[in-house]
Amino acid sequence: MSAADIELVDVRKVYRKGRNAISALDGLSLHVASGSFVVIMGPSGSGKSTLLHLVGGLDAPTAGTVRVGDAQLEQMSERGLTAWRSRHVGFIFQMYYLVPVLTAAQNIELPLLLFHMTGKERRQRVRTALDVVGLSDRMDHRPSQLSGGEEQRVAIARAIVTDPDVILADEPTGDLDARTSEEILSLLSLLHAQYGKTIVMVTHDPRGAAHGQRVVHLDKGILDRDVQNEAHATTAAAPK
Amino acid sequence: MTLSYVLMQNLRRNPLRTALTGVAFALPMAIFVLAISTVVMLTKTAARIEQQLRLAVHHKAGITAFMPEGMRRKIEDLDPNRQRLLAVCAMRWFGGRIPDTPNPLMSLACDVDTFPTVYQDVPMTAAEVEQWQHERRAAVVGDGAANQYGWTPGSRVVLDSTIPPYQRLEFIVVKIIPNASPPNAFYLRRDYLLESLQARGLTGTGCNIFWVKCRSAAALRTLQKDIDALFANSPDETRSEDENAFIAGFIEALGDIPGLARVMATVVVFIIALVAGNTMMMSFRERIRELAVFKAIGFPSSRVFLIVLSESLLLALFGSLVGIALGVGFLLVPWHNPHSESISAPEVSWIAVLGSLAIGLTVGLVAGLWPAYQAVRLRTTDALRQVV
Ligand SMILES: Nc1ncnc2c1ncn2[C@@H]1O[C@H](COP(=O)(O)OP(=O)(O)OP(=O)(O)O)[C@@H](O)[C@H]1O
Ligand SMILES: [Mg+2]
Repeated sequence: MSAADIELVDVRKVYRKGRNAISALDGLSLHVASGSFVVIMGPSGSGKSTLLHLVGGLDAPTAGTVRVGDAQLEQMSERGLTAWRSRHVGFIFQMYYLVPVLTAAQNIELPLLLFHMTGKERRQRVRTALDVVGLSDRMDHRPSQLSGGEEQRVAIARAIVTDPDVILADEPTGDLDARTSEEILSLLSLLHAQYGKTIVMVTHDPRGAAHGQRVVHLDKGILDRDVQNEAHATTAAAPK
Repeated sequence: MTLSYVLMQNLRRNPLRTALTGVAFALPMAIFVLAISTVVMLTKTAARIEQQLRLAVHHKAGITAFMPEGMRRKIEDLDPNRQRLLAVCAMRWFGGRIPDTPNPLMSLACDVDTFPTVYQDVPMTAAEVEQWQHERRAAVVGDGAANQYGWTPGSRVVLDSTIPPYQRLEFIVVKIIPNASPPNAFYLRRDYLLESLQARGLTGTGCNIFWVKCRSAAALRTLQKDIDALFANSPDETRSEDENAFIAGFIEALGDIPGLARVMATVVVFIIALVAGNTMMMSFRERIRELAVFKAIGFPSSRVFLIVLSESLLLALFGSLVGIALGVGFLLVPWHNPHSESISAPEVSWIAVLGSLAIGLTVGLVAGLWPAYQAVRLRTTDALRQVV
């Protein structure tokens, strides 16, 4: 069980397309406490995905600094970022992106191929991750045999199997119906509450926002509103 | 689970496409193996026939009739500049057999000077030629007889002639012919035989055959006519024969087969490269987002490169192996060969097998390189943004 805090200072991200420069993030500063569940909201094109990509080390900021735990991302090489990502970050996407020819268990095992680990140890980790997402009985099924919600759970298991400090989710319920969305959101809340992961989740769904301790609104690449979710904060704080 | 397992599973993603691409590799490879094996076989046959481009000139009355030894000179004078013929070797039956056994040897007395040239298919080393020329009793013997009677180079051999005057002669083995045809061939020196006959007051200069070693199949055909024409209407009318002339002419007519095969192979390789390259690019495009996720998960670019490249190589390997197996299988079936006596049996050419495998893998490599490079260049963030 591990977690890390996130700190962005005056982050800019400019995409150049020929003569046009599109400013996706325009001087954003944000601190996410270790072990907290933050929801990012905002209109389309406001820079939410860009923010997640920067925090996950998938892309480098044009200006400003990004720190996750001890790692100062803007100073790291691409190779260094890749290695860091494999240990410290778990990604969850709207479209799941599972490998269709592998079973659920094999998909979950994929990130572990980057670790020096015995097969036994790997299988143990996969079994634990499957237990957490409640899919132990579907481990030998391929993605095509699973429902959307189940696929997303496999993707979540794949994201947590390496025991990362930070989980970054980009519209994880964007493709799911209300009931299934609720199940996925509850699962993320569980990861946060029970395993103490730092979670940053982008969503358009107001019900999703209710699961976060804090909701950050972006607009045109800058911080618009930063709202503490009182109800949630108290319930999450209670067990500690 | 290992990465190679993931790769194998990837080939099952679109089984029909994998199978079709496999066939695109397999069929040309099978044809390639067959073509190269045939070329190798023809080249070998041509080389063997080249060594044997000989005319057997014998008396029209039959092979037992004697002709005067001076005819050798007359045949040689047909081509004073040696543009068509290399050498003429006169021969006389000795009809030898091991004393007190019934089995005769195929024993022929040959001209000492031209025997090594005319019989290039008996590969004699310089030292062996030297011995043949300096030892009057020298004998060049087939491996069949040598094995049967325990002869080795240097062995002393005594033979009785079954032809009048039935003399007994002693020989020294200087050379054993590997894979001799016939196996009981026994070549001795004609001057030695002549001396022994003259010692008995006999002449014995008559010859049964003049072997004429020709430079080419075409030369052989004109010489055949010229020689028989030369002696027509003389007491010693001849008949010149050659069993390999037809095959040699056939091979000459085929022309530059190896060159043709090379051109064919290049075209074939180019076509498979295009087909395979296209397939690899398609399969890469389909999986751009999946590969982006591999990168997001923390797979280094080098691994992603290998994943894409290996898939192409695996497909190439499977396809090529299937094709090679087909080609080899076809060659190993014992087809009836009407020319089995003269044309070497088609055999599996290891050059063809290894060559095909190398070519198949090279094509797989080239076809996979571009998508693999694209996978390395792939910007994870861009790939993830394009929602399906
Ligand atoms: N590679 C790129 N080249 C040019 N512009 C880009 C690129 N990536 C993103 N942008 C632009 O940056 C801005 C922010 O994009 P981003 O994907 O972060 O938005 P978002 O808030 O996630 O939107 P959505 O809710 O639609 O997912 C957008 O205007 C987008 O068009
Ligand atoms: Mg987005």
